[in-house]
Amino acid sequence: MISRRGFLSLALALAGEALLAGPKFGRCASPPQFFFAQIKYRGGEWDPNPQFVEPIVEELELRTSIKALSERRTAGLDDPEFFFFPFLYLAGRYEFEPFTVKERETLRRFLNHGGFLFAEDTAGTKGFGFDRSFQREVREIFPRNPLRRLPPDHSVYRSFYLLDNVAGRQKVNPFLEGVTVENWTPVIYSQNDLSGAWSRDRSGRWVHECRPGGETQRSAAFKAGINIIVYSLTSDYKKDLVHHPFIQRRQNR
Amino acid sequence: MNLKQIILSPVFPLWMALVLFALTFGLSLLQFRATRRRLSLAKSLGLFSLRGATLVLLILFALNPTRVERREVALSPTLAVLLDTSPGMGLPGREGRGTRLEEARALLLEGPDPVLKGLAEKFNVRLYQLGDPLRALKTEDLPGLEPKETRGDLRAALSQLSGSVNAVLLVSDGTLLGDESFPPGLPVFSLPLGQPDKYRDILIKTVKAPSLAFQGREAEMDVTIKGHGYPGLRIPVTLRDGQKLLRAKDVRLDEKTGEGTVSLSFVPEEPGLHTLSVSVPSQLGESLTSNNATSLSLRVVRDKTRVLMITGTPSLGYRYLRMALKSDPSIDLLSFVILRLPSNILNVPLQDQSLIPLPVETLFTKELKDFDLIVFDNFTPGLFFKPQFLDPLREFIKRGGAFAVLGGPGFSGEGGYAGTALEEILPVRWAAKESYRRSTSYGVRLSRAGKTHPVTRLSPAEGNGRGLWQELPPLEGINPVRPKSSGTVLLESSEENSWPVLTVGSYGKGRVLVLATDDLWKWYMGMAAQGKGTRAYFQLIERMVRWLTQDPSLETVQVHYPEAAALIGEEMELRVQVLEERSQGKVPAISASVRTSEGAGVPSQLRPSGRDGEYLLSFRPEKPGWYKWRIETRAGSREESMLISGSRTGRDGFPNHELLKRISASSGGKTLSGKDELLKELRSYGESVQNRFVEESRDPIWSTPYVLALVLTFMALEWYLRRRWGLI
Repeated sequence: MISRRGFLSLALALAGEALLAGPKFGRCASPPQFFFAQIKYRGGEWDPNPQFVEPIVEELELRTSIKALSERRTAGLDDPEFFFFPFLYLAGRYEFEPFTVKERETLRRFLNHGGFLFAEDTAGTKGFGFDRSFQREVREIFPRNPLRRLPPDHSVYRSFYLLDNVAGRQKVNPFLEGVTVENWTPVIYSQNDLSGAWSRDRSGRWVHECRPGGETQRSAAFKAGINIIVYSLTSDYKKDLVHHPFIQRRQNR
Repeated sequence: MNLKQIILSPVFPLWMALVLFALTFGLSLLQFRATRRRLSLAKSLGLFSLRGATLVLLILFALNPTRVERREVALSPTLAVLLDTSPGMGLPGREGRGTRLEEARALLLEGPDPVLKGLAEKFNVRLYQLGDPLRALKTEDLPGLEPKETRGDLRAALSQLSGSVNAVLLVSDGTLLGDESFPPGLPVFSLPLGQPDKYRDILIKTVKAPSLAFQGREAEMDVTIKGHGYPGLRIPVTLRDGQKLLRAKDVRLDEKTGEGTVSLSFVPEEPGLHTLSVSVPSQLGESLTSNNATSLSLRVVRDKTRVLMITGTPSLGYRYLRMALKSDPSIDLLSFVILRLPSNILNVPLQDQSLIPLPVETLFTKELKDFDLIVFDNFTPGLFFKPQFLDPLREFIKRGGAFAVLGGPGFSGEGGYAGTALEEILPVRWAAKESYRRSTSYGVRLSRAGKTHPVTRLSPAEGNGRGLWQELPPLEGINPVRPKSSGTVLLESSEENSWPVLTVGSYGKGRVLVLATDDLWKWYMGMAAQGKGTRAYFQLIERMVRWLTQDPSLETVQVHYPEAAALIGEEMELRVQVLEERSQGKVPAISASVRTSEGAGVPSQLRPSGRDGEYLLSFRPEKPGWYKWRIETRAGSREESMLISGSRTGRDGFPNHELLKRISASSGGKTLSGKDELLKELRSYGESVQNRFVEESRDPIWSTPYVLALVLTFMALEWYLRRRWGLI
């Protein structure tokens, strides 16, 4: 299935690549308030799904009022602009080198001051590879706040769509995990390879097949992505009392 | 002349006079012997006698004989007659004698033996009106004298009279201001007026009420009712807010004390300044009914500051602002985030998404009054509701509500705020074709007004905010606006052609703020990135909310009221604190004025209290009613008003003869029951204290020109005879 926007993008790509590209950091001094900032780390494979941004941003702009940049920004943990990234994205398949003390301190300060990190184990191998390295870093950065399964009433499951399970290219965990500090979850972690489900090549074809759920599962991956992004920008807004009767009524149907 | 009346007062010692006398006599004898050789005995004796007489006269002159005359003189003592003109003196006196003041007037002036005339026989009588201040009267002033609004202050009057009078006659009903502490040695004789045993009255004695109450939270006041002549009476006490009955409760007056206290609790529903009244019904036979009701002012504030925020799109600006507002326990936040625009396409049925409709009609027609502050955050109202829904918002602000607009692409002129009620309300106008610019980095700096304004005057922990603004990361998005004449720019971009970033203003009784950027959150994260405290961001948000909602604690000028209720005729002193920053050591310019509700100026005085930035504003309310004071400084002004109803205590017209007795007894005077006793006692007292003294007059006998002429005559005659008889 190809979306209307995908079709248009494809047509434009054929007309000329220069016209296709969205605004780039080099040409625009200040990006819109939402964009992906993907962390480049040492060792392993920091960019397992290089083509995930555009489809999820298209979907985001189609469904929500959020204006976003369809170009991701890649940065190391020593980037001076690091604290102004609205949405840090960390992904990989394999083990990576431990962060330095300074990198951990920077990341801790960022996350403790309201920053947000979405991390993905695209391989989905529990206890091995990326998962092992990421769990290690979380323990170092948040020694008193371990990574835990987010409860079903967590705001991330209701920030835009009402979700009862989470899936991506694969369905390793039907839920999200996260580190929660008081009422805010600065780190959300998935092993379902959401970005793999979002990825689309330049000809408009999905890069990966979603298993076992197929396109329904891909649609769920987009919904989860939108919910995570909206959560990163609104926090526990959906926990406000004014929303309770509406959400409860819809969940009871 | 009696010789006993003659005394000598020699100009030199007596022995010297005697020596001189002997020498003179000897020299005269020698002269006699010399002249005897040339003249006959008779002529010699004549010359000897003349010389001797001259010398004796001169010596006696030096002895200075003086005639002393003594006589006893008696002086009348001075009596000050103080005629009380306190309000109680306008109440009925003894039966058939009119008011107490008329009763006093009759005693002093009328009848076969008027008191003033009788006293004048023994005293030097001075007549005074015991009011505020003490005023000297003439007898002819008495018929036109009326009771005053203020009670006379006996202690002040006696202090003034002390040393100039021998005694005081106080003609009063005892409703004056006074106790038993007086200057020593000044006896006070009192003549009580009125009839305590016949006096019947119910009054509100005291009302103990808070000056501040919280909306929706129970407030309580204690009301004490005093009765004279109604022991054991059960009477309802009612509390009203205007015409609205808040509470009514019965109270029973004690058999002995005549008093009863009742607690009235109520729940204030509306914030603002309320005039409450407490009253009891009039009873049959009451002498005074005006003290059956009293009023007081009560300021009702919200328990929490209720903030309604509508955000145009999910953003970090929203999340950080939400974090700041939610972290403040005094703020109750209701926020709506526009998650989906009409142009967005939903791919799921309603039950699969969490979106709720923005309840425009409910919010803007019914519930707006429940909020203190409305915030439009990067929000374009025209996309979601019709412009007429903004009219209630305009009224809300006009009546004292607060409104803030935070910038971003949604804060636009054309197709946004232009042409709506909000364009009139905002303190800025759009200055460029595009409503939002996101391309350049804008540093910020404090404007001149921003250096002293409460919103941007951060705590000393942030170095008064001066250096802080330079440390903040630059803004990347800005709405190009210009301030209206009603707007005050507090923060501006630091470039040469600066743009206002934070502008404040007022609309009606409300306050308005425009933050022309959606990058405020970067000031939080920018400080975090530098490893510095992020308190400044929270403080700025908190101060914006508090200033907008007119939180008294953030006013540049703060007025603190005295704990005791203001009384008519007595000086009221307000403590004024000016939080204005001193510039280059200069004392902040400050002025104050006080007016009545009719606009008439009331004399007032503003003086430094001695503490830094603190002043004392004092004035004297002369009559019950609303009083409004305005204090102006360079950084702002404050205007407040208060109902001064005389006191929270009802006027007690009960003739307080016991007080007069105590006053007289403690001062060494006496309480006198009637005219006859008064004259008798005071005449007797006048006799006992009559001032007597001996007047002595001295008449020097020799210090007359006749004596000198006699000496000269003797000397001239001697010279003439000597010349005639050929001795010269």
